[in-house]
Amino acid sequence: MKMPPFRVLSPKSLDEALQMSRELYESGEDFDWVAGGTDLLPNYKWHINVKSHVISLSSIPELRELSGNHIGAMVSINDLAKDTTTHPVLAKAANSIASVLIRKSGTVGGNICLDTRCYWVNQSETWRESIDWCHKCDCGTEADCRVIPNQNTLCVATYQADLAPVLMCLDATIHLASPNGARSLPLCEFFELDGMTRNVLGSGELVTHITIPEDSAEWGGDYQKLRQRATWDFPEAGVAVLWKGKSSSGPTSLRVATTGLESIPSLHLDEAKEALSKWNGAETVEELAESIRKAVKPVQNTWFSPPYRRKMVKVLTKRACRDLLVS
Amino acid sequence: MSKEDEGEGQTENDEEIIGYRQQPGKIPFSRPGSGGRDRFSESIDSKMIPVSQGGSLEQPWGPHKHDELVSGRVIGKPTALVDSSWKVTGQAHYGDDVRLPGELIGRIVRSPHHYARVLSIDCSKAIELPGVIAVATGADAKNRFGVLPVTKDEHAMAVEKVRHAGDLVACVAAIDESTAREAERLIEIEYEILEPIHDMRKGLEDSEEPIHDRGNYHIGESNVQKRVFQEFGNIAGMTQSSIASHKKNWLFAGVNHGFTEPHAVVANWNPTGRLTLYTPQQVPHYLHRALADVLEIPMHQINVHRTFVGGGFGGKSDPFPHEMCAAILARKSGRPVRITFDREEVYWVNRGRHPSIIEMNLHADEKGRICGIETDALIDGGAFASFGHVTTYYNGVLHTAPYEIGAFHYTGARVWTNKPASGAMRGHGAVNSRCAVEVGLDDLAEDLSVDPITLRLANLLPPHSATITGFRVTSIGMRECLERVKRESDWDKKFRNLPLGKGIGIGCGFFISGSGLPIHWDPNKFPHATVHLMVDMDGGVTVHTGAADLGQGSDTVVAQSVAEVLGLPLDMIRIKSRDSDTSPVDLGSYSSRVTFMNANAAISAAMQIRDNLIDATVEITGAERNGLVIGDRRIFLKDDPAVGVSYLEALHKAQEDRGALVSSGAYRTPPMGRTHKGAAAGLAPAYSFSAYVAEVTVDVETGQTKVDKVWAAHDCGKALNPLAVKGQIIGSCHMGMGQVLSEEMRYGRNGNLMNPDLLDYKIPSVHEMPEVIPIIVESNDPEGPFGAKEAGEGPLLPILPAVCNAVYDAIGIRTSELPMTPEKVFKMIEKRCKTEGVSDPTDLECPSLEYSELQSILEKRSVEHAIRDRERRLDEGRGEYYNGALFGLDPSVPPDEVDLRWEVRVTPDEEYLSSPRLAGSAWKHTERRHLEDAK
Repeated sequence: MKMPPFRVLSPKSLDEALQMSRELYESGEDFDWVAGGTDLLPNYKWHINVKSHVISLSSIPELRELSGNHIGAMVSINDLAKDTTTHPVLAKAANSIASVLIRKSGTVGGNICLDTRCYWVNQSETWRESIDWCHKCDCGTEADCRVIPNQNTLCVATYQADLAPVLMCLDATIHLASPNGARSLPLCEFFELDGMTRNVLGSGELVTHITIPEDSAEWGGDYQKLRQRATWDFPEAGVAVLWKGKSSSGPTSLRVATTGLESIPSLHLDEAKEALSKWNGAETVEELAESIRKAVKPVQNTWFSPPYRRKMVKVLTKRACRDLLVS
Repeated sequence: MSKEDEGEGQTENDEEIIGYRQQPGKIPFSRPGSGGRDRFSESIDSKMIPVSQGGSLEQPWGPHKHDELVSGRVIGKPTALVDSSWKVTGQAHYGDDVRLPGELIGRIVRSPHHYARVLSIDCSKAIELPGVIAVATGADAKNRFGVLPVTKDEHAMAVEKVRHAGDLVACVAAIDESTAREAERLIEIEYEILEPIHDMRKGLEDSEEPIHDRGNYHIGESNVQKRVFQEFGNIAGMTQSSIASHKKNWLFAGVNHGFTEPHAVVANWNPTGRLTLYTPQQVPHYLHRALADVLEIPMHQINVHRTFVGGGFGGKSDPFPHEMCAAILARKSGRPVRITFDREEVYWVNRGRHPSIIEMNLHADEKGRICGIETDALIDGGAFASFGHVTTYYNGVLHTAPYEIGAFHYTGARVWTNKPASGAMRGHGAVNSRCAVEVGLDDLAEDLSVDPITLRLANLLPPHSATITGFRVTSIGMRECLERVKRESDWDKKFRNLPLGKGIGIGCGFFISGSGLPIHWDPNKFPHATVHLMVDMDGGVTVHTGAADLGQGSDTVVAQSVAEVLGLPLDMIRIKSRDSDTSPVDLGSYSSRVTFMNANAAISAAMQIRDNLIDATVEITGAERNGLVIGDRRIFLKDDPAVGVSYLEALHKAQEDRGALVSSGAYRTPPMGRTHKGAAAGLAPAYSFSAYVAEVTVDVETGQTKVDKVWAAHDCGKALNPLAVKGQIIGSCHMGMGQVLSEEMRYGRNGNLMNPDLLDYKIPSVHEMPEVIPIIVESNDPEGPFGAKEAGEGPLLPILPAVCNAVYDAIGIRTSELPMTPEKVFKMIEKRCKTEGVSDPTDLECPSLEYSELQSILEKRSVEHAIRDRERRLDEGRGEYYNGALFGLDPSVPPDEVDLRWEVRVTPDEEYLSSPRLAGSAWKHTERRHLEDAK
């Protein structure tokens, strides 16, 4: 399987990278950032939305910083998982991603910006031609979505990355840079509900790093995921639950986020708030889990069916809360 | 020999030899030594020599005709495969590693439609593209081919119609892959889209445009490719006498072999007009024949070169259209052409296990006998016939043993659908229906309140018997397999006693050890396997064999057989098995035939060389011929080992006036079986048996099943190479676990294969792999090489039902659909909770067992049968034993000859046709050639 030809640029600094992106933009050329390449290159091999240029971020030292509450975008998932300063729940989620080989190449930034996936698009060109293409990669045909037919306004491809829900529960901030300057925003505001646009990154903009609030060590919790095999597979559902101030009368703070169920990961603020307001141990956890099940709307485009994934969200939520009930 | 003797010998020679020779007094030529790396011969290890030959190797199953050939060198010792160092050092060349000067890259243009008529193909733009050297279409090769001569229904490329998405339409050869891919897009094809069929049930109905047209032999206007009706035994009695019955409708998803190496082929025509085709093939000989048909050149103008094969499992045993394409493009371009598949193309060519709908009915009578099996199997053949003719039979006949049964009713049908073709895959045709039978037996045991292992032990056919379908069964190690796994798994303590979510289950298997009849029904008595040996003065033995090593170790087993007979270390054996130019015809690596047939041929060839060496030894030493034995590179008197010569001395003597010793050995199956229509399907010179116990953990809240441990006993007759046998057992567990837990070729709502890649086609990873305890049972088959039978396919069968039955033991649910993904298991748990009014699945109760009176009856019978079996296997004068004796019939005559009720029937009567089962409804159609009669 051969990738179509493209040019690789390898800037040595962030400034140089942004300069390159500006120049490409001004000359009307399209490009992709590439970090670990474990997501982008398979898509390129499948000829999915291939660009003429690729800017590699692998030679930019400033993106590799990993210390306490600062996680550079180019930190490898494996390094994040093994680092002693990493929050234990984040480490657990990181360590569950794909396989060790992919964790060693894949990066934190790449995982957060992971492209959405769908049975109808992650296929070869010949295959996609046989279904007359689809909305996400329509090859100029304005094809409809194949999951929800007769519409071509929204892409419902699924976001299947593991780090985002944990980072959202930790109230992480994501830091972006573009030729027009840098900006920071809460991670939960980073994603945009569409399988194609996926997030707020503007053209020529990239993720530089993530920061986690100083109090993260006070937060306990768990991350649970659903998949067929204990390796390789993307999450069919993932639930992160984090809490602070655990006592017999419940935690003082509680956050729940899910992934692998929709086009973006979701932080379930209302459901967590509701649970906190009337905490009653196992009963509340049951209700919370049920409310999360109701809150997610998966579609039929991954290995397991939507009804099963929703039912499992409930089980996973309960399991993620297990430590919360142990005094 | 003393110096004096030598002197005397020379004196004699002096008189005989006239002319120039070495002058007396000069230093004589040195003795040749023993040959081999080590200067000194090893003494014979009596632990490796059978008791029958005076050694100490126990033979609980009696002596074997090959005992006297045992030199104690390599047979029975764990042996690294002879080609392993090539693989582990990365120097093995697989299909895509072949690089010829000036090669072009070929690409195949495939249909985006499931079913369409090809109206026109315009290649003009493609051929004008710089770098494109040749383009070919169906018009370039109109002859049909197919692995079975009775069902040749494939073309190199579409001649009239495309029959599945991914079917071949055209091909291009260009200077590189990018150019070839660009050229692909420039080929303009006009299609008329036809109504496709994806549901196999639809294939049973008449169609306006059947996927193939078989002329006079077409079955109605349907898409039924093959149908089978078989009845044996007391059909009427089966329901009359039954006190417990099991019925289940199964749905098995199609699975793919998932071999590591995608298909790859290189074709090259040499200046004299001969074709060499480099390809990882399991069955080079049938490809050889098909190439000759398609290319319209004689077979002697073609050399099929088998490269290293990166796994096959049945998926590389058809002659393939892309192999034809490479040859056609190479002929057109005058340059070598290489075609390598993407993984997706592997799924499109498929030939994996058939998606199947199987109805399984089992009946047991008051004595706990299996008084009837009724099976109806509808199998989805996809777009082409492939091996399907045989698969249709195998889905029935291969579960008529190891149990003695009162009646067997089978209806089977294979239909064409617009999907990639199904074909042969490890455990060919036997896997799905075996799973259904073994799960059914577990259910019957539950119904009868008996232990499922005891139920099996009390119903086994004895050694040297005939199945209800008339298969001649020789050695049977089934009882030992069951007893070993029962003991080693601590079955009695665990079964029905483990906590919720933990379970243990049993499953058995039965498989052919080589297809009894060759695929090509040649009029002459051609052998199934032939081996040539050539031994020159260096002492190394060159073995020419056409058996295809696909990683299973066929080169090794041939090398071992020759080395054993000649008393040589393995490194003195050189296997040449790659080129059809130099290899004698071998039918190929399918139906688990290679060890049995090819090793037998090798032994027969080696025996001739052995005779030459012994003759020479007699000539040199004057020793009594009968007293001579072969040890490590030395031939000597058994009773006086000092009298003897080295291997090389004997060899050089034997070569006098003759040169290299050459021999040819062949194997053909003995005549056997019965004569009814279809009697040949499933016939084999020997059968393997296996019993597995699996222990599982099921997460009752998610439905996730983890197989924790497997005790896997397999009767392979004799483990020629225990290392390879264990490898096959463990590998089979992995492969079968994939089918039972996660693997499926999943088709979307519009018929597209949704997961043609290894991320979404869920082959179990190392994390899913249980600990497997391989247990080798050696039943010493009288006709097998040194007693051996197959170990490559049979070991796959029991793992599926063992896991299914263990899941039942764990949570009390029985699946009827494979794979039982967590999702499906969860659904069944939910259903059980609902039926029982339980809200939390962790509150469910596990199945329990309290023995009925029948248990002790079965136990008594299995003890009696164990004695019967031991006597039969050792008694050379044993009488016949036909299936039916357990039901009171005379064991010495085929039951249908004495009891009318046991009559064999191979066509349905009107009564059956008035309410047929699903696959049985294929018989409602009349073959076109009989239409006139019907009117």
